[in-house]
Amino acid sequence: MALTSSALVVVLAIVVAALLMSVLWWWPGLAGKGARPVLLRIAALCTLQLSVLSLIFVAVNRSQEFYASWSDLLGTDSGGGAIVATNYGAGHGGPGHGGAGHGGAGHGGPGHYGSGSTGALVTVTGSSAVAAPGWRRAPRGRLQAVRIRGELSGLTVPAYIYLPAGYSRTNDSEQNLPVVVVISGQLSSRSAQAPYSAARLSAAVAGQMAAGRLRPLILVMLPARIGPGDQGCLDVPGGAQAATFFSQDLPRAVGSAYRVGAPPSRWGLLGDSSGGYCALQLAMTSSAAFSAAVLPPGSYTAPPGPAEPGGTPQLRAQENLTWLLQHQPMQPISVLFVGARRTGPFLTLARPPMRTAQAAPGSGQWPLSPVLDWIGRTLSRPSPAGS
Amino acid sequence: MGLTGRLFISLMIAVAVGSLAGIVWLWPRMAGRRLRDLASRLGLVAASQVLVIAAFLVCLNGYFVFYGSWSSLFGIGTPQPVQVARAAESSRPIVVTGSDLGPVPGGNSVLPVAANGALAGKPPHYYLKHHKVPQRRSPSGVGRRAGRAHTLAAVGEVLQVNLLGERTGIGVSSDYIYLPPQYFQRAYAHARFPVVLALTGYPNDPWSIVKRLALPATAARLVAAGRIRPAIYVMMNVSVAPPRDTECTNVPAGLQVESFFAYDVPQAVERTFRAQTGRSGWSVMGYSTGGYCAAKLAMMYPGQFSSAVSLAGYYLALKDQTTGNLYGGSQALRNENNLDWRLAHLPAPPVSVLVTSSRAGERDLPGTLAFLRLIHAPMRGYALLVRQGGHNYGTWDRELPQSLEWLNQRLTPARPHVQQVALGG
Repeated sequence: MALTSSALVVVLAIVVAALLMSVLWWWPGLAGKGARPVLLRIAALCTLQLSVLSLIFVAVNRSQEFYASWSDLLGTDSGGGAIVATNYGAGHGGPGHGGAGHGGAGHGGPGHYGSGSTGALVTVTGSSAVAAPGWRRAPRGRLQAVRIRGELSGLTVPAYIYLPAGYSRTNDSEQNLPVVVVISGQLSSRSAQAPYSAARLSAAVAGQMAAGRLRPLILVMLPARIGPGDQGCLDVPGGAQAATFFSQDLPRAVGSAYRVGAPPSRWGLLGDSSGGYCALQLAMTSSAAFSAAVLPPGSYTAPPGPAEPGGTPQLRAQENLTWLLQHQPMQPISVLFVGARRTGPFLTLARPPMRTAQAAPGSGQWPLSPVLDWIGRTLSRPSPAGS
Repeated sequence: MGLTGRLFISLMIAVAVGSLAGIVWLWPRMAGRRLRDLASRLGLVAASQVLVIAAFLVCLNGYFVFYGSWSSLFGIGTPQPVQVARAAESSRPIVVTGSDLGPVPGGNSVLPVAANGALAGKPPHYYLKHHKVPQRRSPSGVGRRAGRAHTLAAVGEVLQVNLLGERTGIGVSSDYIYLPPQYFQRAYAHARFPVVLALTGYPNDPWSIVKRLALPATAARLVAAGRIRPAIYVMMNVSVAPPRDTECTNVPAGLQVESFFAYDVPQAVERTFRAQTGRSGWSVMGYSTGGYCAAKLAMMYPGQFSSAVSLAGYYLALKDQTTGNLYGGSQALRNENNLDWRLAHLPAPPVSVLVTSSRAGERDLPGTLAFLRLIHAPMRGYALLVRQGGHNYGTWDRELPQSLEWLNQRLTPARPHVQQVALGG
């Protein structure tokens, strides 16, 4: 009779019932004095108890399937199997019995995926020189138009990348450069009134660098919406995995193509009015990827745009950055709010290791210069012990 | 009094046996033929039965350690995200609460069990007496300190630790870390070791990985036999808030368990030990619920884990009484925690996953095969199917050596410093 069969349960149940009835019925017969009746009582009770325990064990085992058979229970099953590379994932050939050695250790150094990825993650589609405004002799940086392919999110996003003057991928003498990820709704704007356009941001960085106020850094500039249904760089359940793109795909893609520092200590975020929620949201939920953020002041209780369909109270709370600030542990991030007014709960509620600061936007032609200096300083700080 | 402590288990057995003795003693007083006598017999037998069953369950729990403590059984003192300052004030994310020497490769015994399932460090001479530890000559004689150092270099160490997640605020206790003997050897003094994160099933206590799955002992044996290279094994409870089954999920407006295992645990280990950083130095494995978590963590965080072993895992997003609402009431979010759904709807991640099951005796076999069929490049799937075996340690013990060898081929080994042979002296 199999260990997990219902027949065994039925038989044991009948045995238990019969034993119980017998003990109760023949009780008076064992009530005598002397060794023999006492021993018989003990035997009767123990048999009954053991049968009940067996019934319970078999019934529970049957429902949970801990032990599949008698040999399994007694530990007499032996032998393993061969490891089979199923090759559903290998992309070529039929199922093979490669054994444990098949596939081997196909990976590069830390932070690099194996040979599985196909093609470059960053494709350059255009490039132009960036002069430092007011410094005619200063060496020029470059502004590249690129497309960034996210391996895990599946999103491919058009972006701009600013490389400082003197940047060269093969130059190992310099440190790996910090990265500022810009999330802006006005990247492609040609207006001189648009400080967050790719051209103006690059020029502002070039100017600060030429003036010696900013150490070299790389700007990676992305639109405020990077995929269908994306609002505020969240992983939309069932939709665009924007948070995955920013926190995992982007560091990997940029790291594969440029000489950049390691996240999170060398990676920061800069958001304009349409990318501010995105920047703060990423800093607060992906502090393993970003250590600093610059954005306009606000309370950021919901992502921009209309409420997404299918939202639930829990999802809304998770997307409410003020709620996160009050209920999550403080994240090891530095946040600078750029605005004239001191508003929003973040300045008053943040506690170490989270740091907040507030600054009025600069005036004149390059209002973002002080902000860029701040984030450059923040990302150049020696990283905390051990990381 | 600990739930798995020897004292409590003995007490429960004593009470059960005592109740049986009581019945034998009182037997003649209820020997009448009246209904009242019959009822009191039945009542007494039933009461004693309950006590016997309780003792039986406590013994079973003591063996399998489903619940390691009263709090994990009843949820008293369930860990909550630690607020604000605590994460900052504790500069050490891992606190060692107990330590013991590691298993002896090929030895007669693994670690001694302390009464409460915890680790009880014993002085080195105990081990020198009870285990065959390779002796080394020391010019000054084997002192107490030197003895311990030598013993560590021969058998390694198992630590019992508390771990506090910096970013998620999740704090866990009574998890175990096995440092292999090589970790303490001079040739490896500057080497960084690969790490295998091993997760329990649910409900379960990580002590089971040490004792029942015998992961440190198996690893030590395979290393001694030259079949795998040494690694650090971090053995953790898959549930961070027992008795809740948290399924390694980032619960909306709740515990961020996924982030805890994907970011906090690796960071804490890398800051505390000479562990490798980066994906080629990290793998994750587990059995049952831990298997689901292992596959999920590797698939969602391939930047942290390059490979995963799922021993008798499942691949769907569980929702039952013990999990509660893990997905914020959102079916879409639940889908994203379903590994089959991910493979069908999202790009496949660049990781290797080994799944195990049994052709006979494992309920999750069809689900495992369905998961394997969905795997496509750049992800790689490997299967280890044994002929027969149920959902228990006996089966996983048989699958473990091959699984560790498979992992070994995917982890960057710790590189020993090549010593110059000192001549003379």
